Amino acid sequence: MSPVIQAEGLSKSYAGVRALDNVSFTVEPGRIVGLIGPNGAGKTTALKAILGLTPYSGTLSVLGHDPYRERGRLMQDVSFIADVATLPRWLRVRDALEFVARIHPRFQADRARAFLSRTEVRQDARVRELSKGMIVQLHLALVMAIDARLLVLDEPTLGLDILYRKAFYEALLNDYFDGERTILVTTHQVEEIEYILTDLMFIQHGRLVLNSSMDAVQDSFVEVLIAPERVAEAEQLRPLYRREMFGKKLFLFEGVARDRLAGLGELHRPSVADLFVAKMKGAPA
Amino acid sequence: MEPNWNDTQPIYRQLRDRIVTMILEGVVNDGDALPSVRQVAGEYQLNPLTVLKGYQALVDEELVEKKRGLGMYVKAGARKALLADERRRFLEEQWPGIAATIRRLGFDPKELMDQVNGQEARS
Repeated sequence: MSPVIQAEGLSKSYAGVRALDNVSFTVEPGRIVGLIGPNGAGKTTALKAILGLTPYSGTLSVLGHDPYRERGRLMQDVSFIADVATLPRWLRVRDALEFVARIHPRFQADRARAFLSRTEVRQDARVRELSKGMIVQLHLALVMAIDARLLVLDEPTLGLDILYRKAFYEALLNDYFDGERTILVTTHQVEEIEYILTDLMFIQHGRLVLNSSMDAVQDSFVEVLIAPERVAEAEQLRPLYRREMFGKKLFLFEGVARDRLAGLGELHRPSVADLFVAKMKGAPA
Repeated sequence: MEPNWNDTQPIYRQLRDRIVTMILEGVVNDGDALPSVRQVAGEYQLNPLTVLKGYQALVDEELVEKKRGLGMYVKAGARKALLADERRRFLEEQWPGIAATIRRLGFDPKELMDQVNGQEARS
């Protein structure tokens, strides 16, 4: 199967600042990819380029199309939830469904209605009467009812309470993801998606500092709770990152074989959040 | 239900262990359908590949079978096989230590059983 997204030497500058600096990556179909980075690292620019919302240099192919030049064609197979909700406040839910049904050839209004019937969003409500969580549910209902091959989510759960956030990902995994569709998601709430992702990309200063499947991440990164008498020995293996917890030293190693580390202390799988901190601080600015 | 995964074992392995415990405890029985991959993924907030890998481990151990187009089912005899395995492990790993303690404290096995049966009768 051909890749869903293929980027080669993707670059973009705003007023002399490199938002994307020669970025190359491939996203295969059926993956759930997390694009994680601090504010201003280039996440949104990358998503905009993929959605054809901004010109760029380098080559980029999304579902076999050049997103900037063939945006209309591309949008038949791509759906998108922005972090900024843009539905007009006077719009009624029912009319929103009807509107999308008229403009999008792949929209199935029944699916959106079925999804909304399991929420508290009422068909005759206006957007301004909905809570923030309900607006996100409406967005989700609209994009999940589009039979798209790529779904792009930019901070989809920002500002939502924990119940809505869990329900959001549950709906996504239950009703939408089918193993062939592809999801690209950016978020600051790494811990809530870390087990959902199949692939992980870290972006910093417009460059990818990590681009790997979760399986490979688990093979190459190991955190060790170092036994006190082994600290000097552990230092020799050049940990990527060191931290202390309750007076004990935790070292994060990249690419050191597990059997070499096993004698140094207790081995743990680092969380994505720990990995992120280590990579951001460990990488040269 | 949001399970707490530990960070020493792979998630798929922990999922496998969880299902094994459910079979042993009779929460799911021989012939029962396991929830679909999607359902588990949604419920536990896991990626479907992880769920699939956990299920595959159970298939490899011949505890679960895939019925084409229907999903995953607990195989006939799965509980018995697991129980046999647990019994063997008890006899090999725990029993020698327990037996040594019994001997050291000078108990008579019959006395111990009477004690346990008496407690059960009272409770």
